[in-house]
Amino acid sequence: MTFPLYQCSRTPKSARSKRAMDARQPKEIEDPRTAIFVKGTHTGEVLNGAMKELMALKRPNAISFSKKNTVRPFEDASSLEFWAQKNDASLFVVGQSTKKRPDGLVFARTFDGRVLDMCEVGVEEFVGMDKFKTPKSTPGHKPMMHFASELFDTHPRFIQLKSLLMDFFNAEVIDSICLPGLEHVISVSLAPTPTSLNGAQEDDPKNLPKVHFRTYTVRLLSSGTRIPRVELTPMGPSLDLTLRRHQTADPELWKAAMRRPKMKKTEVEKGLGKKRKNMEVDEMGDLRGRVHVMKQDLGKLQTRKMKGLKARAGEEVDEEIGMEEGASRRKKPRVESL
Amino acid sequence: MDVSNILASHAAKFQSVTVEKETPLDVDTGFLTVTDPNPIDEETYNSNREEYLQSTARDGIQSLFASLFTLPTQASPDGPLAKLPPPTTQLPRSKPLPKPKPPTKWERFAAAKGIQHKVRDRREWDEEKQEWVSRWGRNGKNKQKEEQWITEVPANADADYDPVKAVRDERKARVAKNEKQKIANQARAAPSERDQRKKEIDTTLATTRISTASMGRFDKKLEGEKNLRGVKRKFDPTESNETKNSLAIMSKLASDSKKSKKESTHGDDVLNVRKAIRTASRGRGGVALGRESGGRGRGGKRGGKR
Repeated sequence: MTFPLYQCSRTPKSARSKRAMDARQPKEIEDPRTAIFVKGTHTGEVLNGAMKELMALKRPNAISFSKKNTVRPFEDASSLEFWAQKNDASLFVVGQSTKKRPDGLVFARTFDGRVLDMCEVGVEEFVGMDKFKTPKSTPGHKPMMHFASELFDTHPRFIQLKSLLMDFFNAEVIDSICLPGLEHVISVSLAPTPTSLNGAQEDDPKNLPKVHFRTYTVRLLSSGTRIPRVELTPMGPSLDLTLRRHQTADPELWKAAMRRPKMKKTEVEKGLGKKRKNMEVDEMGDLRGRVHVMKQDLGKLQTRKMKGLKARAGEEVDEEIGMEEGASRRKKPRVESL
Repeated sequence: MDVSNILASHAAKFQSVTVEKETPLDVDTGFLTVTDPNPIDEETYNSNREEYLQSTARDGIQSLFASLFTLPTQASPDGPLAKLPPPTTQLPRSKPLPKPKPPTKWERFAAAKGIQHKVRDRREWDEEKQEWVSRWGRNGKNKQKEEQWITEVPANADADYDPVKAVRDERKARVAKNEKQKIANQARAAPSERDQRKKEIDTTLATTRISTASMGRFDKKLEGEKNLRGVKRKFDPTESNETKNSLAIMSKLASDSKKSKKESTHGDDVLNVRKAIRTASRGRGGVALGRESGGRGRGGKRGGKR
């Protein structure tokens, strides 16, 4: 078992290595994930092209391993884990073409130096960037992502695929974006859902619909309103993929990976995180609360005692009706300032 | 005045920016991601795939742009910066959350006394030089007394009193003290050997308690023995397939495969067929016997070239 470098008890010997080690420490808001592109023992022309162009989309957070490696991620993930800790990377694309599984790409991600989950796809069709004689996006710009199909919300395999691809291209949390810098779109759509999938959820990957991975550049036209009209132009690469083997995350590891940092007090007041009932911060920054006060029973209110106001025997019925009316209107909230 | 014509021509000039779908699109502005939960239209997909994919992507991105352009913006030299809300999709982290640093002795004291943390500037104002000088390090102010060319000596000082050495020793002592405090803080932060040993014993004990044949279920409890901590109880799901389970047991009982197998091979009570075959085939089994006696031609065929 290998440990991530930041877990080693080694003390850095120079200021430079200390800075490098500190840069690899876990952070509350994480850096963009780095992806490593690994070639297996045999990769065909299709895979070489697909990996190269996927890397072009992922740049600059991508590392390419130019040599071939004997790596079988589903059988033994130890080399992935080693590379992850050595390169401070947490995403892998492993290309391997075999007779049984031609043109296979394995997308894998790690958590804390251990493989979290993996998904293998087969490249059925690949059209490179150079086949489209259209404008290309600037490398390093953040893509927009589009997923089309109801299966991305319902089917576990496609939920995983969506999460993996989002992690791959778009996982960095940023607080603002330059609007003219939005240049390209990665669109992932599925073929029509086969009817066999709706009933019993078969685990045979042959039943799953094909995945169409397309990239487009965006053109913005004026529309007379604040929001521009969007037109898309195919940019390439475009891939048709089929799902193959996969490995879901270990529940314990997944739980650890999904842990969020504790919210700051100001964020909670803004309304993020757990909802606090009946409390809100108004525009002036004052905390205001609503208090529920039960309807008061005025019938029992003791007023000044006078002989003339004493209840007589016949009037008791009247009073009770009045009380019931009061009870039905009891649940009205009353707003009061704290 | 009728302006409907003008409005219509204006509308015709610009294409619409609204997207209408059966199910509203799920836009995650923080991750610039849009998910279209509408099912794929099979007819258009089959007739013209690329165009269909592009048009759905366009609709999705249009709605993403609609939400992006309504965000509050900030001017910048490269164009407007849109302030993004935090993302709604939860993605796994690549590294665990940073562990909070254990507080030092001073930090604990300051917290108890309510002393606010103050960041001390690295530089200090020098009145004589009339400029900012560093507090420590090269040409640091803390070495000023060591480096000045003339020093006042107290009247009752020894004959061999060296004022520069005295000041220097004082400074070195401060550094040493700080180092000592740092090591003490580190030692305090590390878990003590005693605690570690205690934890180890607890885990060993817990392992031995569940290492019996019944996995600790029917063991005699000693007096004063506490229940195991952190044991999670597992239950069958509430909407269990009870009928299925009981039917499986029933069918297992009814079929009784072993019994029927026995009966079929044994034949009648007079001759023990199994024993007879074993003797006749000299212990090689019925299949070998059959091959030897009757199936010569067939055997040859099977052994032929494949």
